[in-house]
Amino acid sequence: MFSQRELERYKRQMMLFGEEGQERLKKAHIFITGAGGLGSPVSIYLAVAGIGTITIIDMDVVDQTNLNRQILHYDRDIGRKKTASAEEKLQELNPDIIINAIDVKIDESNAINLIGNADGIVDAMDNYPTRYLLNDVAIAKKIPLFHGGIRGFYGQATTIIPGTTPCLKCIFPKAPPKEVFPVVGVTPGIIGTIQANEVIKYLTDSGELLLGRLFIWDGLQSHGEEICVERNPACKACGGMTTKKTIPGKKK
Amino acid sequence: MWWYDNKKNNTGEEEVTVKIRFFARFRELLGTDIVTDVAPGTMFTSLITTVAKKNPEGYAAIFDETGAFHEFVILMRNGKRIDIADADKTVIADGDEIAVFPPVAGG
Repeated sequence: MFSQRELERYKRQMMLFGEEGQERLKKAHIFITGAGGLGSPVSIYLAVAGIGTITIIDMDVVDQTNLNRQILHYDRDIGRKKTASAEEKLQELNPDIIINAIDVKIDESNAINLIGNADGIVDAMDNYPTRYLLNDVAIAKKIPLFHGGIRGFYGQATTIIPGTTPCLKCIFPKAPPKEVFPVVGVTPGIIGTIQANEVIKYLTDSGELLLGRLFIWDGLQSHGEEICVERNPACKACGGMTTKKTIPGKKK
Repeated sequence: MWWYDNKKNNTGEEEVTVKIRFFARFRELLGTDIVTDVAPGTMFTSLITTVAKKNPEGYAAIFDETGAFHEFVILMRNGKRIDIADADKTVIADGDEIAVFPPVAGG
């Protein structure tokens, strides 16, 4: 049930997916890994859309060099934990949802427990080793993984339904080298917003998800395109997984 | 036919026409939608090596010092993945559209 305030708040989007869709958003728990460049727009848009429970994890402190893109954090937050800054902003954006901000480094020992029974994992990480870990948990628990990555003016995004679509390792078997990557804030803005859009579509069963499609954004050309991606039967992460007939968005 | 003659190279073999699409940083360094004619039997690795060599920086972005693809490079032919380990024994076919793509890691 929604309060009068919630009915007003979500009025314009309930024109799209009804009170039933809004109810699905409210019941959902989304796990966002990172409160940085991608995590900022993802969490802001999911918070204002009314995702009932958002867990956002990060281990870092806000640094001056983050502020060109990590729009959750303000100048006054420099030196503060990103999780504290994120929790404050997201809760102010929407007081009717639950924000769990956890100051932790996700690793093999804690990933399964941290993710728990989340309805979706948003990949807002900045490195592939952790992404592969998220991929493993997504596969083990059959939780959708909303992937995004950026560099400079370029970005990529895809939605992974374990057992149905290619997993992250099918698409990117080998990680690109680690680097201090160049980036302008609009790029994670665009890709993070696409990830949030995928989450909302998944939960409300709207439209077509980026399933088996890798969206590629070229901000220099202002050109988006997609390449089809397929499961790798010999994939080390999801190779043995049988196809499960699931309809994305249809919640049990 | 006019196009048939055009597609013969100087040894009289019929050449195959392919299109190479580079993405992201590869595109900045090497351009994209490169249409080129190659001799029949040309392998993927050899074609991309030739095209990439036009810019040393572009070449270094795609290949390592030994001339092998960097292991993270994604190769697609007509929307289907080609394993980089197989690229030096995969023959290009007429009309192939080849995509060469670097995954991005930032967040």
